[in-house]
Amino acid sequence: MHRRRVEEAIFKGLMIASITIVAGSLLSIVAILAWKGLPALNIAMVTQTPKGGYYLGKEGGILNAIVGSLYLATGATVLAFIISLMVALFLQREYIGKTRFAGLVRLSLDILWGIPSIVYGAFGFAIMLYMGIRASLLGGIIVLTLLEIPILTRALDEVVRMIPKDLKEASYALGTTRLETSFKVVARQALPGIITAVLLAFGRGIGDAASILFTAGYTDRIPTSLFDPVASLPLAIFFQLGTPFPEVQARAYASAVILLVIILSISIVSRLLTKRLARNTVK
Amino acid sequence: MNSACIDIRNLNVFYDGHTALKNISLSIPHRQITAIIGPSGCGKTTLLRSINRLIDFSDGVKVSGEILVDGQNILGPKADVTSLRKKIGLISQKPSPLPMSVYDNVAYGPRIHGMRDKKELDKTVRNCLETAGLWEELKDRLRTSATKLSVGQQQRLCLARSLAVKPEILLCDEPTSALDPVSSQNIENKLAELKKYYTIVIVTHNIHQAMRLADYVVHLYLGELVEYGPANEVFQKPKEDRTRAYINGTAFKELEIDSQINLKGKVCPLNFVFAKEALETRCREEWKPTARR
Amino acid sequence: MTVDQGNNIITLNTVSKKTIVSRRRLAELVSTRLMLAATAFVGALVLIIAIGLFLKARPILEANSLGELLFSSTWRPSRGEFGFFPFIMGTLWVTILAGLIAMPISILGALYLAEYAPKRISALMKPAIDLLAGIPPVVYGIWGLLALAIGGINIGFNVLTGGIVLAIMVIPVIMSVSEEVFRMVPQEIKEASLAIGATKWETAKNVVIRNSLPGLAAATILGFSRAFGETMAVLMVVGNIARVPSSVLDPAYPLTALIANNYGEMMSIPLYDSALLLAALILFLAVVFFNVAARLVLAKIQQRWA
Ligand SMILES: Nc1ncnc2c1ncn2[C@@H]1O[C@H](COP(=O)(O)OP(=O)(O)OP(=O)(O)O)[C@@H](O)[C@H]1O
Ligand SMILES: [Mg+2]
Repeated sequence: MHRRRVEEAIFKGLMIASITIVAGSLLSIVAILAWKGLPALNIAMVTQTPKGGYYLGKEGGILNAIVGSLYLATGATVLAFIISLMVALFLQREYIGKTRFAGLVRLSLDILWGIPSIVYGAFGFAIMLYMGIRASLLGGIIVLTLLEIPILTRALDEVVRMIPKDLKEASYALGTTRLETSFKVVARQALPGIITAVLLAFGRGIGDAASILFTAGYTDRIPTSLFDPVASLPLAIFFQLGTPFPEVQARAYASAVILLVIILSISIVSRLLTKRLARNTVK
Repeated sequence: MNSACIDIRNLNVFYDGHTALKNISLSIPHRQITAIIGPSGCGKTTLLRSINRLIDFSDGVKVSGEILVDGQNILGPKADVTSLRKKIGLISQKPSPLPMSVYDNVAYGPRIHGMRDKKELDKTVRNCLETAGLWEELKDRLRTSATKLSVGQQQRLCLARSLAVKPEILLCDEPTSALDPVSSQNIENKLAELKKYYTIVIVTHNIHQAMRLADYVVHLYLGELVEYGPANEVFQKPKEDRTRAYINGTAFKELEIDSQINLKGKVCPLNFVFAKEALETRCREEWKPTARR
Repeated sequence: MTVDQGNNIITLNTVSKKTIVSRRRLAELVSTRLMLAATAFVGALVLIIAIGLFLKARPILEANSLGELLFSSTWRPSRGEFGFFPFIMGTLWVTILAGLIAMPISILGALYLAEYAPKRISALMKPAIDLLAGIPPVVYGIWGLLALAIGGINIGFNVLTGGIVLAIMVIPVIMSVSEEVFRMVPQEIKEASLAIGATKWETAKNVVIRNSLPGLAAATILGFSRAFGETMAVLMVVGNIARVPSSVLDPAYPLTALIANNYGEMMSIPLYDSALLLAALILFLAVVFFNVAARLVLAKIQQRWA
């Protein structure tokens, strides 16, 4: 009896320690970034593009990277969403259901999910070289889209599969087509889940650096066309960190704070929206 | 005038190899109420779902035979399932409101089938809700979410939603099972009125309801068609012992009621309690039941 | 009489109804085709990537023998010597260390949240875990740099730092899936165990964890494949020296970092870009292998459980 008690106590202690580590690392990330980044953060960072000598510690900001990242992530998320929604709906029972093909597509999605983003980047860049496309907003968007498709499709597939069968049947009983039921009932019931999935994919898109390292290029200007190169926040952080000047490195930390704030807002918006939208759905 | 409206020929339905309906042949007459009776798990829902092809959504199901609606085989490959389902409404056993407001639930079907005009929609919604006996209760709450209604209200909402697409045939799977006696009475009255315009098929566990409403009666037992005919004949002088047993609640030797009615863990209908008791009394000597002392 | 009336209503609307019906049917048809196309594209994407990478990697596969590429430790691109062994080992060291750190922490933490924690704590931890999962790699890299490598603990740029950073990155992934898996274990089974006098921990160990094994395996695989392919965060803290590490305190140079550091600037050296795409191909094949193996193992486990 005594031994059992001790074992219970030890493991309970280990569990609490684990949770503490997780909570602690989150706090530590936020604290360190705030401590190193906030002093260097100023209004110019988010309102100006880099001026001459910015990377030597002179004036300017990283507006180019903020806007660039938003362009990249928005473009990719929109494209990925269109494709993923079609695929997720198509994987429903009434389309391809439990066929071999559906199984293959799901396996393919799992593999795509696992492919490192640097591989997408290298593959994308190789294709772009082959087709003669320069590193550009378009290239970055395409590669990010590929990266987001498996994330989004898997999440949407999960959400769509949770829809109660009765609900779909109620709609079909009124003589609706698969398309009508999919968009008017399934998508509607799944809306909170869809929003969460989209914001998750957007967050991944905005934070990923490896895939756009070669494909999007880097520039101090805000792109005006799809074929211009484009800067991005993660790469801005990376490059600024790579300079030997402490002032510029401090700006890298400040840029990381900006990125973190964006990610945090996405997560908060996602929570609020889901709560809001869940009111009308069937439990 | 009693031209057949739905003609079922040699219908077999299998779920993963086990047979749910065996060789059913019957015709359901035009603009009459046909009641399907039988113990739980005998295939009533399966039969209804076959008639408007919702059966397609069941897993591992195989259907053979023919169902002719207005002379066309709806199980055939050329059947247009979508317009078929508009023509044949089904109100399921468990009410399932769509995740939208009361108004949108009823307007859902008409909108899809091309009704755009706001006034016309309003009128349809109001008519259908009145028919289902919901208008008075809900006229001020049309914009609230349908999922917040009580189960009985949801059931009637589903009736209204089905009526809104102007079907020709209404299939009702135990439409009053979730309702109090007064509301069931209302629904029964409505169905009796609607019979003027619709062909109605109703599944019920309530023999008295079947007696009150039905013009024709179908008795299913373990997936087989036991008896079928005009209500007065079936109820007054059933040809089959099993039907008599079911209606009167008298014993019938072959009934393996226990295992059958508890299939879905549902409360068994009252007449089964009688049937079981009778069975026990009659077979006491042979069976030595472990029944209560 | 009534029959006629009914028919009248239908005939009156026939024209408009027909166009609506055909438009709806067209929409259904077109949408189905589009969805099929999208699905086929996603299904074929793996093949396209495989073929693309293979074609690009072929020159180096023809120039050097596979054994030499995989098991030689000399990396001198300018002399045409491409030994991937240090990079492969770098990836393995970092990934396995990260897994060893992350797995017990995630599973114990998930168990705590699912079985022990007061409601308030699990409600607080859920968004924290989601947030942690959403933090971009670059930020993790900075954190590793400032908290572990140079500032703070000051353990330098090596496998250990990389492993810790990666572990912190994958813990939220494994933990949230595991927690969900634990919560799916039916209450009755747990009660059955508690009823025969088992303690809470014994119930967790013998009933909850055992019932969740397939799910935990899936969660772990997710975590590993995430750690394995991570680039930026690792790149910033592992040191990037092309030598086979002999302890966790040695620097390493994972395959992902190799590609990130060199691709794009290697045009002048023959076969260099082919070599880097071979690195990508190796990563890709490992992912395919993981997934297929995982499927087989999971199917086996599920078979035994069913
Ligand atoms: N989707 C399904 N998969 C497998 N078997 C099924 C399925 N649906 C029904 N069955 C089986 O088919 C038989 C007939 O079921 P059905 O639902 O038609 O019965 P019912 O007469 O409507 O019963 P109740 O009065 O309880 O609603 C039952 O034995 C049932 O277990
Ligand atoms: Mg039923």
